[in-house]
Amino acid sequence: MVRSDSVARIWDWKITATCFAVLVLVALIAVSFGPVSIHFPRILRTLFDISGGATDQERTVILQLRLPRIILGALVGAALATSGAVYQTVFHNPLADPYLLGAASGAGLGATIALTSTHHNVYGLLPIFSFMGGVLAVLTSFFISGKFFAEPNSLLLSGIAVGSFATAVQTYLQQRHTDQLRPVYSWILGDLTSASWDVVLWSALYIGIALVILFSVAKQLDGLMLSDEEAFSLGVNPNTLRILAVAAATLATATAVSASGLIGFVGIVVPHLVKGLTHRVTNRSLVSVALVGAAFLVIADLGARTLLSPAELPIGVITAFVGAPFFLIVLRSRRKVATS
Amino acid sequence: MKIVVSDLSVHYGDKQVLDDINLEIDHGLWTCLVGPNGAGKTTFLKVLLGMASYAGSIQDHGREIFRDHSRNVAFVPQQPQIPQGMNVAEYVSLGRAKIDGFGKESSKSREYIYTILQHTKLLGMQHNLMTHLSGGEMQRALIARALVQEPELILLDEPTSALDLHHQISVLNDLEVLKEKGVTIISTMHDITLAAMYADRIIVMQHGKILLSGTADQVIHSSELRTAFENRIDVYTLDSGRPVIVASKEIHSREEE
Repeated sequence: MVRSDSVARIWDWKITATCFAVLVLVALIAVSFGPVSIHFPRILRTLFDISGGATDQERTVILQLRLPRIILGALVGAALATSGAVYQTVFHNPLADPYLLGAASGAGLGATIALTSTHHNVYGLLPIFSFMGGVLAVLTSFFISGKFFAEPNSLLLSGIAVGSFATAVQTYLQQRHTDQLRPVYSWILGDLTSASWDVVLWSALYIGIALVILFSVAKQLDGLMLSDEEAFSLGVNPNTLRILAVAAATLATATAVSASGLIGFVGIVVPHLVKGLTHRVTNRSLVSVALVGAAFLVIADLGARTLLSPAELPIGVITAFVGAPFFLIVLRSRRKVATS
Repeated sequence: MKIVVSDLSVHYGDKQVLDDINLEIDHGLWTCLVGPNGAGKTTFLKVLLGMASYAGSIQDHGREIFRDHSRNVAFVPQQPQIPQGMNVAEYVSLGRAKIDGFGKESSKSREYIYTILQHTKLLGMQHNLMTHLSGGEMQRALIARALVQEPELILLDEPTSALDLHHQISVLNDLEVLKEKGVTIISTMHDITLAAMYADRIIVMQHGKILLSGTADQVIHSSELRTAFENRIDVYTLDSGRPVIVASKEIHSREEE
């Protein structure tokens, strides 16, 4: 080691800048492609209001259909990836993700209750209902597993049980309210077709708050990778930090779930991908995780829109198609480390 | 200076883990907590860190220690939490977080981390993942992380229990050098013989109480020590004058009677 080397491999702005560039590029491609293809220069001219932009019809496609959908996809991807990375750090488990702790299923149940209990338009209230559902599910998982944070594995197992229970109740509610079955069902499969500027705005608000909190404590999460006593000796109050991080990650997850339904595996695939590329522990590149998560979901949604065009695939199908094999690879490489 | 413990009690639910402890611990010395499993040694150590809540009072430099983040105390746990995906250098440098702030690293810290890595014989393996270390290397990394904190007081929970004799001696020698530099050491230890070899003060605990405390010599040859271990230990003195404590085999002693 050269003495001037940074020993800690802390944040590197070049990686974050690269991730941001990738996101912008992916977003441009996504605006351009679809049943109607629009060329890049015309999109840019339209966005920056320079003459020679798109026709009125293309403007509508860009501004009312594609752009809100892409921004929502980016927000949801950033939320799921970041909260996945945070759950993995806090629970010392590389396979923890918003879905395994019951947070997402709980959020799903909360949203279903909101959708089935009234015929009014409740989209603005969905994040609040699903946040309460998500928090309730995570808390239940904690209490069933006995000790707060002490037993990460039993916590994950109880999270799976709580998640299954929430899903069962949710299915029951759907069947009781068959008149509402279609919107609920299409929402569960996960899609971004509901994207409108309204949805984008409230999602951006809640996800923005959650991400600001998570980014501001990201570096301190290093402390949670040690034992509580060591963390305390470094000036961290481990339980306060954990509760704050889990609450913010749950808010992000719940908002993502209420905006776009259940989109799995983003929270596992993206943090591990970034970790593999940067060779840093994920909380040290949390902003990059968010950017890559956003790009990942925008690409997945582009696939969902175009693969069976003009029909649409649910985006959850695409992320599971990529994510499930990826999950198995992580599991396998982890077992190798454990047995070596 | 002293750490003054008065009327200290700790409960976990109904269970009284520490019971009415009154004690003074000198700075600049190595104090060793010994006693059977479940005596409350680890709890006492955690309370001395200032993180766990307690009834009574513990004053360090005249200030109550509970939740006092201004003290510079390092803690080396018996069962460490090993961060996935962190290498030795990253792990050790976490110890500078209180000085530099998390995610920052001054050039002075860089120098210091380098010195500690060299001193703890971890230089050359600083890019290895923590999860790939052997037991001895792991213990050295844990202590290195605590040392880069430049602590005034270091608390170690069974620093040698996972190590073979060779590595035990090497870790204890390192701690002795640290003490000579003026750092106060408080450790728990299973092995009373080793404790007697290195510690200046020994505190014998049983059922959450202090049974006796004093210099190594005083404690080793006292009858209370045998009581703490229910008369299942024998104390021998080597020609060099060093005491050796071994478990006594009851069947043998009965046959001899």
